[in-house]
Amino acid sequence: MDLNHYFEPSRFWALLKLEAARSRKGIGMTFILVFDMLFFIAMLLHLYIESEEKIFDHYDNYTSSLLITGFILSSLAFRDLGHRLKRYNYLSLPASAFEKFVCQWLLTSFGWIILFTIAYTLYTWLANPLGHFLFSGVEFNSFNPFHPKVFTSIKYYLVLQGIFLAGSAHFRGYAFVKTLGILSLFAAAGLLLAYVVLKDLFLSPHECHDTHCELFDHFGAHYIWPLAQWLFWWALAPLTWLITFLGIQEKEV
Amino acid sequence: MIHIQDIAFQYRRKEPFFQRLNLKLTPGNIYGLLGKNGAGKSTLLKMLAGLLFPAHGKIEVDQFQPKNRQPHFLRNVFFLAEEFELPRIRIKTYVQRYSPFYPEFNIVQFDQYLKEFRLRGDQKLNTLSYGQKKKFLLSFGLASNCRFLILDEPTNGLDIPSKSQFRKVVAQAISEERTFIISTHQARDMENLIDPIIILDEGEIIFFQDFEQITNRLAVSRQLEQSLAEDVIYAELSFGGYTVVKENTDEQETHINLEMVFNAVVANKEKIHQIFNR
Repeated sequence: MDLNHYFEPSRFWALLKLEAARSRKGIGMTFILVFDMLFFIAMLLHLYIESEEKIFDHYDNYTSSLLITGFILSSLAFRDLGHRLKRYNYLSLPASAFEKFVCQWLLTSFGWIILFTIAYTLYTWLANPLGHFLFSGVEFNSFNPFHPKVFTSIKYYLVLQGIFLAGSAHFRGYAFVKTLGILSLFAAAGLLLAYVVLKDLFLSPHECHDTHCELFDHFGAHYIWPLAQWLFWWALAPLTWLITFLGIQEKEV
Repeated sequence: MIHIQDIAFQYRRKEPFFQRLNLKLTPGNIYGLLGKNGAGKSTLLKMLAGLLFPAHGKIEVDQFQPKNRQPHFLRNVFFLAEEFELPRIRIKTYVQRYSPFYPEFNIVQFDQYLKEFRLRGDQKLNTLSYGQKKKFLLSFGLASNCRFLILDEPTNGLDIPSKSQFRKVVAQAISEERTFIISTHQARDMENLIDPIIILDEGEIIFFQDFEQITNRLAVSRQLEQSLAEDVIYAELSFGGYTVVKENTDEQETHINLEMVFNAVVANKEKIHQIFNR
């Protein structure tokens, strides 16, 4: 078996450069839009409405914006496959399906995490003094890109973005919306299954407050929980990568 | 070498195409694939390029199976589709980004082709007309020195001078190692370029002959009245009389009008079959 048929570093590098160059404008526009929204809506408007707030930190906004933008970007990774005419170019480009998959996976996972985290850090350097100027009574915590909260967000992103990558390789058009639709169907089916399996727990007397619910403690103690965790952290992402790869390999015009 | 064995194809929810189609194409030729609209020309070309997969049977292009779309296969096949979309970048940027995928790409040749087609490297692809875009893609495909050039209706959208330019450039680019396959439903555009001729009708190859055989077996002539003689295979009313296709019984060399040959083959398959299988 000649491995060059599947992966060749120089060809992969050319593909990586090509895809990065093609996404340049889109990424630039995403940054402008996202950081405008983060500054004006998620920060200024939020502080204006929540006038009692004395400390503002950026970690929650980092998580939500990384996940949302990354999922949208992943949904666009194989957009050419959803376009009747662009599909010809993409499928006949002399690179293997494996290289095409790895290239987009790298760009939309680690590539996006690194780029977004750098941009977000720079944004907070600019947003904090401006925020302090407008809301002098609020303390603006600096954003540490190496904070454990950041790594937790990245871990979740790395697992979940594969779902949107798979959607991008399989759906012809509106991949993000269609993936969300499929995801909600799976979530509903999963919840239904969980209810059937854990019926006794659901129906047992329990108390829930603002930050704590006894029900979740019961779930955590159930034998099915470690299995669910294992499936989420170790099986979900490889499965979505395989589905994505097969989607590229089996696609016809 | 292209070897097609017993292939069949079916579009979803449609009648099957190509029941057991067989074909062998050798290098050094510009094959002309003729057929009416919907005859299956584009489908066959897309299967050769690995863009559609046969339902059964086997296609081999230089020992590669196109459906696997291996890079070593793809870098030797350039498919110019009838409809296409190009990125909104300059010609030179396109070349910078895409030529690394074709190890045999020759920038000097590319510049020559551009010059021939009166295009410039600094032109933006989205500002070019449809015909100019085709010329650009053809230049890129030829300069990539792919062994297989598959052109689907390449003269559609080209003006008359461009069609001549196209024929000239393609004729100059063929070599012993290369195979060009050109599909068209406008047979006249390809005259003096394609040889052998393959005619596809309703998913079947009904004619596969080289030009020498065609001129040996068929004669195209003009006559004032439509003769009902048995040797007339096909006749068409034209200015001041009729153009007829007959069997070339007296080994006369006549100018072969490809469009007339095509019409004769499609209209009288059995007679043509008899003549060429004697």
